[in-house]
Amino acid sequence: MVAPAFLSVRGMRKSFGPVKVLHGVDLDLAPGSVTALLGENGAGKSTFVRILAGDHQADEGSIAINGTPAAFRTVAQSRDAGIRLIAQEIADAPTLSVAENIALGALPNRFGFVDYRAMRETASRALSSLGADLPLDAPVSSLRLGERQIVEIARATAGASRCLIFDEPTAALSDAETRRLFALIERMRAQGTAILYITHRLDEVFAIADRVCVLRDGRVSLDAAVADTDQAAVVAAMVGHAIATHHDHYAYAEKPGEKLISVRGLTADSFSDIALDIAPGEIVGIYGKIGSGVPELAGAIFGALPYAAGEITMDGSPVRFRHPREAVERGIGFLPADRASEGLLRQRSVAENLAAPSWHRLARGPFISRAIETTAFSRWHKALNVRSRPDGAERILTLSGGNQQKVLLGRWLEAGSRLLLLVEPTRGVDVGARQEIYQVLRDLARQGHGILIASSDYEDIVEAATRAIVMVRGQMVAHLPQADISTARLTEAAGGGAHA
Amino acid sequence: MPEHIQTTAATAPAMTMRARMKAPEWGALLIFLLAEIVFFTINSPYFLSWPNLVNIITALSITGILAAGGTILLIAGQFDLSVGSGTAFVALMFALAAQSLGIMPATGIAIVVGLGIGMLNGFLVTVVGVNALITTLGTLAIFRGLTLSIGGASSLRITGFDWAIARPFLDIPLSALLFLAIALIIAVLLSRTVFGRTIYAIGANENAARLVGIRTKKTLFIGFVISGLCMAVTGLVSASQLGSTSGTTGMGLELAVVTAIILGGTSLKGGTGSMFGTVLGLLIVGVLNNGMTLMNINSTWQQVAAGTLLILAVSFDQIRQRFIRA
Repeated sequence: MVAPAFLSVRGMRKSFGPVKVLHGVDLDLAPGSVTALLGENGAGKSTFVRILAGDHQADEGSIAINGTPAAFRTVAQSRDAGIRLIAQEIADAPTLSVAENIALGALPNRFGFVDYRAMRETASRALSSLGADLPLDAPVSSLRLGERQIVEIARATAGASRCLIFDEPTAALSDAETRRLFALIERMRAQGTAILYITHRLDEVFAIADRVCVLRDGRVSLDAAVADTDQAAVVAAMVGHAIATHHDHYAYAEKPGEKLISVRGLTADSFSDIALDIAPGEIVGIYGKIGSGVPELAGAIFGALPYAAGEITMDGSPVRFRHPREAVERGIGFLPADRASEGLLRQRSVAENLAAPSWHRLARGPFISRAIETTAFSRWHKALNVRSRPDGAERILTLSGGNQQKVLLGRWLEAGSRLLLLVEPTRGVDVGARQEIYQVLRDLARQGHGILIASSDYEDIVEAATRAIVMVRGQMVAHLPQADISTARLTEAAGGGAHA
Repeated sequence: MPEHIQTTAATAPAMTMRARMKAPEWGALLIFLLAEIVFFTINSPYFLSWPNLVNIITALSITGILAAGGTILLIAGQFDLSVGSGTAFVALMFALAAQSLGIMPATGIAIVVGLGIGMLNGFLVTVVGVNALITTLGTLAIFRGLTLSIGGASSLRITGFDWAIARPFLDIPLSALLFLAIALIIAVLLSRTVFGRTIYAIGANENAARLVGIRTKKTLFIGFVISGLCMAVTGLVSASQLGSTSGTTGMGLELAVVTAIILGGTSLKGGTGSMFGTVLGLLIVGVLNNGMTLMNINSTWQQVAAGTLLILAVSFDQIRQRFIRA
């Protein structure tokens, strides 16, 4: 017995100019159920939900609410039908208070004046149902990223909503916040809300969803009850073929005394007294959730962030990098956590992005040309399996997340870096490209590169690291040899306990 | 390192395809310029004569030299609004020094003053961290004020300094040749050198540029100094062309400069643009002004036309981007 759908989509098509994004999508959302929506980057998930939210308009197809045809030409119309989207990118008003942000778009008023008391009550109720304790009058710009995400969720759940759409909500959340979000989703489901949940994380699908729907190339490639499917089937539906689960195993054979870099007593605002050694051929994984200080540690070693005390030694002599340039010159490469804001030279070409750290070396005197950059790119185009034109002439933003990341990695290979500091190397990277990146890292380690993976995604550590360190609130709390690295051990040491 | 198996035969046609697909970025500007030329040729028999074409370039030379430096800065996501008052201040310092020290030392002083203005702007933006718009809005007011208070209300005559109006080659004045030379140098600098690449990188993403090891502040500082050097040159050109300088020299130049650069396709957000585009932008405005003068249209209407053109060009670009965006 299938419950009648609250929201029913039939034959939805959408193009942007010549680019066809959706080719006829059918989807039903039943009240009181959670549907997980998966798909690789570029599969059309975000476009699909933005049409449901009234932010984009479909070219063809129909939307029905409780069997009645509906058309959302504006976000307000979609809201009136009870649909709320919690978007992936935070879209709050940074200078307004927490309470005002939660009430945004539905400010309670009396005779046109804002009713501040009602506003605070609504906000307070929405936050407490999320188990969050945030200062109502603080501007949201003073909050952490994860807390701002909570405010966004509180805004969506504050009003009377009948359908909630989450677009990768847990990316910025801590373990505890994630658990509270899942508890809230359970409650909303019990109250009869229809929930659509976009994620990259398969464990989340099997933890909270009733149905799973996979988009591939703008079409539904799988739509099944969670009970009737498994991870392998979902992954196959996402990438279009089965992914080999068995992969290459790489173990680091310890050679005493051989070190690329040694860190002692490193202390800054977000971490203290860190000791760390990385040897050639070693892949050290540091696991830590938001607030653990892991990305800041990597940035401090690279000279991108300041540190208060401690000593870093390379090749037997102390170093202190005051600018990333000095670290680059000593053979260090750095992959930042946020690809869009810290990694990509956005309007520039793929080849230019790859060649950037090597411009001085590649140049003939002060002169450099596209041809020189294309030659540099062609050295890595095949080796890294970058899906782009062979000359890398297109803009970097036209590539998918995974391919962008390969280019940013190739940047440091072209620069000849011996030590790679990789922060969140697979964030926003789809399943297939993830495995390719892990394989590249294993191959690099075999060739004698030293690699540091600083990540909040345990899969990065489990898949690639030859040794793991867990950090909590700026302290190293556990050291695991390769044989002991597992999801359970990592989350346990991080104080979480797996939520899967 | 992996073998590069791709044959050049396979990539070569792809490159020409790209060149063809890229054309629309400035292709529309070129078509507009040609339309202007056709229109004015029909309406004025004198328009398409060599002396008039030389006039157009000559009238552009001061704006053009400043726009060359400004293109570097705008591609890097920065502004310099102090160029007009900087030009006037350089010209004044030159005129004062020329009276007591003679032409050659005064020329040296003018260059030092221009570099100084650029270094002041660069210091405030890169070391102190004041937004470039605010910094140069401040220095715009400061140097205009200094020029008026030191130089007084009347204009200062400069004698024996008329090199800029000499016509050594094809009847083209030196000022115009200087503009063409500087435009060429900046074009090469932007498109063919490591310095140019770092300018584009900073404009595209300053954080990312720093994290690949680019000394972003040093590069921006140099950008402001180049703009200051351009002010030194235009101060000298202006003094030479007019044979005098006054408190109103270079008034409003900053807007003409920014108009030409943006009309030429450099984004306000930085990261894209070219010197070639700026030259097209300069020519579109210059041809419009010249043609309207030949048709006896009041010069006040030329401002209306230039402003309308700017808004039309940018609106057109917005619409085009919206269509392309996937």
